[in-house]
Amino acid sequence: MAITFHIPGPLRVYCGGLQRVEINSSPATLREAFEALYRECPAVRDRLVTETGQLREHINIFVGTENIRFTGEFTTPLPAGAEISILPAVSGG
Amino acid sequence: MLGELLGPYRIVSKVGEGGMGVVYRARDEVLERDIAIKVLSSRTVAEKSAREFLLDEARAASALSHPNICTIHQVGEARGELYIVMELIEGEPLSQLIAKGSLPVESVLRYGVQVARALAHSHGRNIVHRDLKSSNVMVTPEGLVKVLDFGLARRLRSDLLDESLGTLDSLGWSGETIVESTGGLTGTLPYMSPEVLRGEEADHRSDIWALGVVLYEAASGQLPFRGRTAFETSSAILRELAPPLPSWIPAGLWAIVQRCLSKEPQQRYQRASEVQAALEAVQSAAVAAGGTSSEARGPLTIVHRGIRHLATKDGDVLLLVGTMKGAFLLRAHAERARWEVAGPYFHGQAIYSLAYDARAGRRRLWASTATFWGTFLRSSDDFGRTWTNPQEANVKFPTDCGVSLKNIWQICPGCPSEPDTMYCGVEPAALFESHDAGETWSLVRGLFNHPHRPRWMPGNGGLALHTIVLDPAKAERMYVAISAGGVYRTEDRGGTWEARNRGIRVEFQPEKYPEFGQCIHKMVLHAARPERLFLQNHAGLYRSDDCGDSWQSISNGVPSDFGFAMLMHPRDPDCVYILPIESGEFRCTPDGRLRVYRTRNSGASWEPLTRGLPQKGAYETVLRDAMTTDSLDPAGVYFGTRSGELFGSIDEGKNWKMILSGLPPVVCVKAVVVGEPRGARRNGSGQDARKSPASTPAKRNARKNKSRRGKG
Repeated sequence: MAITFHIPGPLRVYCGGLQRVEINSSPATLREAFEALYRECPAVRDRLVTETGQLREHINIFVGTENIRFTGEFTTPLPAGAEISILPAVSGG
Repeated sequence: MLGELLGPYRIVSKVGEGGMGVVYRARDEVLERDIAIKVLSSRTVAEKSAREFLLDEARAASALSHPNICTIHQVGEARGELYIVMELIEGEPLSQLIAKGSLPVESVLRYGVQVARALAHSHGRNIVHRDLKSSNVMVTPEGLVKVLDFGLARRLRSDLLDESLGTLDSLGWSGETIVESTGGLTGTLPYMSPEVLRGEEADHRSDIWALGVVLYEAASGQLPFRGRTAFETSSAILRELAPPLPSWIPAGLWAIVQRCLSKEPQQRYQRASEVQAALEAVQSAAVAAGGTSSEARGPLTIVHRGIRHLATKDGDVLLLVGTMKGAFLLRAHAERARWEVAGPYFHGQAIYSLAYDARAGRRRLWASTATFWGTFLRSSDDFGRTWTNPQEANVKFPTDCGVSLKNIWQICPGCPSEPDTMYCGVEPAALFESHDAGETWSLVRGLFNHPHRPRWMPGNGGLALHTIVLDPAKAERMYVAISAGGVYRTEDRGGTWEARNRGIRVEFQPEKYPEFGQCIHKMVLHAARPERLFLQNHAGLYRSDDCGDSWQSISNGVPSDFGFAMLMHPRDPDCVYILPIESGEFRCTPDGRLRVYRTRNSGASWEPLTRGLPQKGAYETVLRDAMTTDSLDPAGVYFGTRSGELFGSIDEGKNWKMILSGLPPVVCVKAVVVGEPRGARRNGSGQDARKSPASTPAKRNARKNKSRRGKG
C-alpha cells in the first residue's frame, strides 16, 4: 500500500512540481518513509533536517493529523497507507 | 462610455484594450448577469474591413460551445457601435501566472490538457484559432482554463482541412488578413509557426505549434524562440531548436513540446486531441509514480523572473545590498549619479552575506540565503539573472561535530594569488574553506577543534564567526573575528590558531583583559600595511601595529566607541571609517544624529562626516557588514541602515545622499566596480574632483572632460 506525502509549496520544485508524492512501500517508521522520499527527491533532505538529523525548527510534520513532535519525531510508527504532511510552522518576523 | 447603455447592457468598467477594440465589464439588465463586452473603437469601426473582421470573429467563435472556450453570447450594433457580448471570465491570463514564477509541472499539464481540449473542439468545427498565446488563455481561481479571442479564427472549408493533413500547398495565406490583424501580429510573433512566417497558410497544425510554445513557456517561464528584434525572433523560429527545458521537467512533457515544435507541420501531432491524450498520459504517470521518477530532482539553478535585471557594463559600480527579506542590486555609471535598482532577489529570505569574486576572469556574485528551509550559498555569473540552487546544503558541519549550521555571516574570496580559494564564516562560530572556487566546502578543523571553542559565548546576534581578514602579502596568514570569542590568527593556512586579543578590553567579564572571549564587531586591514589592523570592539576602537600581537586604544574623540561597522579606505592605509552607535540597551546613533566618523591619521583623531545625513531624530543602526567603499577615486562610501535606508557619498564621505529608502532591514552592503575601472576615474580625477563631487553642472562637466582626457 502506498504512503502519501503532502508537499508544501516551497519544496514542490524539488519533487517534480508535485503537491502529492506517493511511494509504494510500507515503511515501519517515519524515518524509513523519509529515507524513501529522499531517495526519490534528494534535495528535500537538507531542507527538512539539519546536519544532525533534527527536523528544522520552524517546520512541522504530521502523520494524519498528529504532529510528530508529540509522537516520537522520526521514530513515529506508521500505519499502512499513511498520509504525511510537511508544513511550515506558524511563525513571524 | 462607463455607465452608458449599449442595447440591454450597462457598461460597468473597462477590462482591457486590444488591437481591435476595448473590452468592458457590463451588466445585462434583462438577464441580470455580468458579461464582457468588446466594443470596436469608433476610429476602427469606420473601416469596413475592421467591421467585417469583427463580425467574422464573432460568427466563428459563436459556433463554439465548450467549457474551455470563452462563450460568445451575441453580436450587436447600437448607435453605430459594433460590439460582441462574451462570457465574463474571472481569472488571470496564463501569461501573468507565468510571469509570477515557475509553474509546477502539475499545473502546466492541467492547463495544457484544457487548452488542447479547446483546440480539439474548435478544430473539429474547422475553426483555427490562429492567435493562441499565453495571454489568450485565462485561468480561473478554480484552475479552469478558458481560451479567449478567436480573433484571427476563420472558417476553413472541411475539404481544405482534410487536404491540409497531406499538404499545405493548397492553402494560400490571405494577405488581407495580415493587414487586418496588424494589431495582433506583432504581439504574437513569438507564437507564429515557421510556415506562417514563410507566408504559407495557417492551419490547425499552426495552432498545435502555438500550443507547443505555450507549454514551453509555462514549463520554463521563457519563450522557446527569442530575439532582440522581430527579425531575430523570426529567424530563431525558422531555424533554431528550442533550448532544452529544465532538468526537472518530466521527459514526457519535453517530448510533447518538441513534437509540437517540429518545424514541418507534418512532423507535428496532426490533431489537438493527440496532444491532449499525450499530456494526460504524462499527467497520470506523474501522479501515479509520485516521486519515483528520476526526474524528481530540484532545479540546479534558480531563474529570477519578474525582476528587471541590471544590464551591467565594464566600469559600472554595483551595490550588492543584503536585507532580512532578500537581496537588491544597484547599478550606476562610474559617475555614480543615478542608481538603477533590481530586486528583491530571494524574495523573503535573509541575506546575511554577499560577495563578488573577480579573480581569474570571473564576474561572480555570491550570496548566502537563510529561511526556515535552511541556509545555502549561491552564486550567479550573470549579475543575478540566474543563481545556483544547491541540491544539498553546500556548507554543512560534518555529522561528528554534533552542531548544525545556522547562518553564513561572511563570504570571502581568497587571495588573488590563489584564485580558487574561498572562505566563509558561519554561525555557530566556525570557518569553512573551498579550494575549487566555491564548488565544495569543508570545515577548517584547526579552528573548530581549538580548546577555547567550548568557552566562546554567544552575543545578542548569536555565536558567529563574522569577519575574515586575509594577509595579502602572505597567503598562510589570516585572521578571523568571533563574537564573542575574539581575534584568532593562523600562520599556517588554518592548521593552528592563536588568540590575539592582548590589550582589548571586555566589559562583560570580571577579568577586563582576558586572553579570549572579546566581542569583536569588525576588523580591517590595508594591503599596503598588512602588519597593521584596525578593530571595532563591542566597546572600544583599537589598532595593532604588529599583526594583532598587541592592541592600542584609538577611541579619540568619538561620541561612542561602540559600533558595528568599520571600513578601510581603498587607497589610504591611514584612513578608516566607523559609524558610532550608543552602547548599552539603546543601540542607535547617539543623539538621533546619523554620523560617519573618519580618521585619516590611523586613529589619532576622528572627524564627523554629516553633510547630507539626517542630524535630527535619526535613531539608526548600521550593522557590521552594512558599510562599504568602492575602489574608484574619489572613493564612494555607502551604508545601509536597519530601517531600510541606503546612503552614499561619492567624495569619500564629505557629502552624502540618500540612494534608496523603504528597504527591509539592511544587513550587508558591498560595492563592486565591474571589470577594470575606467582609467578616467582612476587617473583623471585630481584635487578638484575631491573638493567638488556633487557640485554644479559646470564643474561636473569639467570633471567629465577631464576624465575623457584621462581616458585618452
